[in-house]
Amino acid sequence: MSRGSGRSSAGIELVIPPRPEYLQLVRAIVGAATGTGQVGAPLLDPGRVADLRLVVSEAVTNAIEAQVAVGAPERIVVRCRPEKDRIVVEVVDRGPGFDPGAVPDLPPVTDAERLDHESGLGLSLMDRLADGAVVETGPDGTLVRLTVEYS
Amino acid sequence: MQFDVHRSSLEPAFPAGVVLRALGDLDMAGVPRLRSAVVSEVDGGTRLLVLDLTGVDHLDSAGLGAVIGALRRLRTHNGDLRLVCPEPRLRRVFEACDLDRVLELHDDVDAAVGQATIR
Repeated sequence: MSRGSGRSSAGIELVIPPRPEYLQLVRAIVGAATGTGQVGAPLLDPGRVADLRLVVSEAVTNAIEAQVAVGAPERIVVRCRPEKDRIVVEVVDRGPGFDPGAVPDLPPVTDAERLDHESGLGLSLMDRLADGAVVETGPDGTLVRLTVEYS
Repeated sequence: MQFDVHRSSLEPAFPAGVVLRALGDLDMAGVPRLRSAVVSEVDGGTRLLVLDLTGVDHLDSAGLGAVIGALRRLRTHNGDLRLVCPEPRLRRVFEACDLDRVLELHDDVDAAVGQATIR
């Protein structure tokens, strides 16, 4: 993991039970954290704050689902790190993990069969709306690192 | 805001027609409330369901999944689901999943029922 000069000492760590009721809290705090970067740093555009809240919500939803699926009661960690030119959010769970490459491609959107796929949309949202979305799965769980740049 | 659904009938103009106005955050926590409302409508005979998302603060893939599930449930029962979604910030979520190309998003309830055909 890069720890270059752009890394700020600022940051927030949230530890939540794997329950859907906490999603709203995570979104509110991550949204507020975009304003806690270095003094003089540019503010994130409101539309991009909305994107960040959405992709973080997706990652935490996946983490909750992963842990509920195996009955793992461990808490989920959300680390939020405003940097000079970007904000990085990491979501760490203790679930069994998944292989993004193993997720089947969705049918073409011109096809009504697209509506047969209620799941798998979250990964699509993370890919499209974050500037970076990295999934690292290990024996102890999964880490998703999302980056949104202050462009 | 905690998710909730408010119901109003479209009868007599539209027999078996109902509007459900969704309010709050339609995420994993809000999905069960929407799903149970839709199941209850279909079981009760509603065949034209207008789902108004105007009052939704947050929509994510869990919420989209519930919307798709509602559409399929209505269609399975020879009904139809119409979506009202005027907010650009919510439309963006449909667009990011390419769902705007298979689901029509209307600006208001009138536009949604304007082309209603009860099958």
